[in-house]
Amino acid sequence: MNLLELKAGERINYTGAMIVMRDAAQKRIEMLLRKGSNVPIDLKGKIVFYAGPTRIVDGRFAIGPTTSERMDRYVKMLFELGVLATVGKGQRSEMARKLCREYRRIYFVAPSGAAAALSEHVENIELLAFEDLGTEAVYEIQVKDFPLIVAIDSEGSDIFELIKSTNGGDRT
Amino acid sequence: MKLLLIKHEELVGKISQKIIEANNIMREEIFQQVLSYEGPFCDVLRRNAEVARTKDLPLCQDTGFVEFFIFIPFNAIFERPIQESCDEAVKKVYSSKPYRYSIVTDPLYERKNTRTNTPSICHIFHWDEEKVQIRLLIKGGGSENLTTLFMLSPTAGEEELMGKIIEHVARHGSKGCPPLRVGVGVGGSADKAMLLSRLALTYSLSDVNPDPRYESLERRISEKLNQLRIGFQGLGVGPTIFSVHVLQAPTHIANLPVAVSFDCYLSRIGVVEVEPVRIESR
Repeated sequence: MNLLELKAGERINYTGAMIVMRDAAQKRIEMLLRKGSNVPIDLKGKIVFYAGPTRIVDGRFAIGPTTSERMDRYVKMLFELGVLATVGKGQRSEMARKLCREYRRIYFVAPSGAAAALSEHVENIELLAFEDLGTEAVYEIQVKDFPLIVAIDSEGSDIFELIKSTNGGDRT
Repeated sequence: MKLLLIKHEELVGKISQKIIEANNIMREEIFQQVLSYEGPFCDVLRRNAEVARTKDLPLCQDTGFVEFFIFIPFNAIFERPIQESCDEAVKKVYSSKPYRYSIVTDPLYERKNTRTNTPSICHIFHWDEEKVQIRLLIKGGGSENLTTLFMLSPTAGEEELMGKIIEHVARHGSKGCPPLRVGVGVGGSADKAMLLSRLALTYSLSDVNPDPRYESLERRISEKLNQLRIGFQGLGVGPTIFSVHVLQAPTHIANLPVAVSFDCYLSRIGVVEVEPVRIESR
């Protein structure tokens, strides 16, 4: 399956790897890049999942998407580092949409407020970097049949904008 | 005079139990809404309620800031400060369950995780009842970022108030895990309005304002917001909001504060009541 050919609105069940990181880890990566330091994670060709899992107790934990728009300021950086797709929840800014088109990248939404169910699709979780950040550290997860919907495709088509236009134009 | 003693251990025990229930068990009125939703990801949302209940997992990975609204008798005495009892309950639950520590110490500089999910937020009110009532809210960060305050002109009417809320939800609603619950605090000072808007989120979907004018306002805001058709997950199907709850308070002649707080579709709330031990003293 070529992810980049998927169209806004399509649902897929994804099996493979994802890099889990959110606000604090991306802020730190930006800082490292600014200082000319080495980024301890290889993001080339990876899918970044905006999430912070719960603690793992007796092998059990919950994981789900967080609001993507907060991290729009780091989208360009991620794409420059080779990230293929991002996964989160909610509509993103116009800037993020344009960057998806410019870099031919894709943004998925995963079901939010469904972390117990999603945890059943995660087969492995491994800490990659920034352990001191706790839940905001960087993890790699292996998922099976993980439910995703394309929210922005590589042409820059945005499902949230499509919904607004079907509902009768701009609501604001 | 009569004094009422509230036992620390009982508070901690009852609060702990309710925090777990709110995090893991989808409330019946919410479950009914999820069952009637037929749209994107509906299969996952239904399964989530089942998995969380049977596997002792939280419904959402964001197990929140725990916010308490504590109503105490004016003649109550406590064995420990109330904040300490609440924090002990939070710490006990969050360190034993597969929950997330989401609280950081300094907000602007270090943002170092406290690794206890404390402090919790405690609002304490006196009331003229002989029991303690604690209303709690597991408040996720996503819906919290939608919080807003409008300092309207005192001559503004309900149309202007509704317009502001609708514009705000139209713009940001999809980011707060809709269908949302909307708490509106009208009047008071800015902080009082904000507090009321949050207390309003602890009510059930069917609770309405006892004043018919405000009940009608709640209904009208609900109808307008649902016309936005943001839907479950912001994906356009199903209701945009589950309910609107307005709480009003007297205000200054120059002011009309309107605070709006939002809760995600899971509406993780609970009410705990504690009966005190009665002590007669001279």
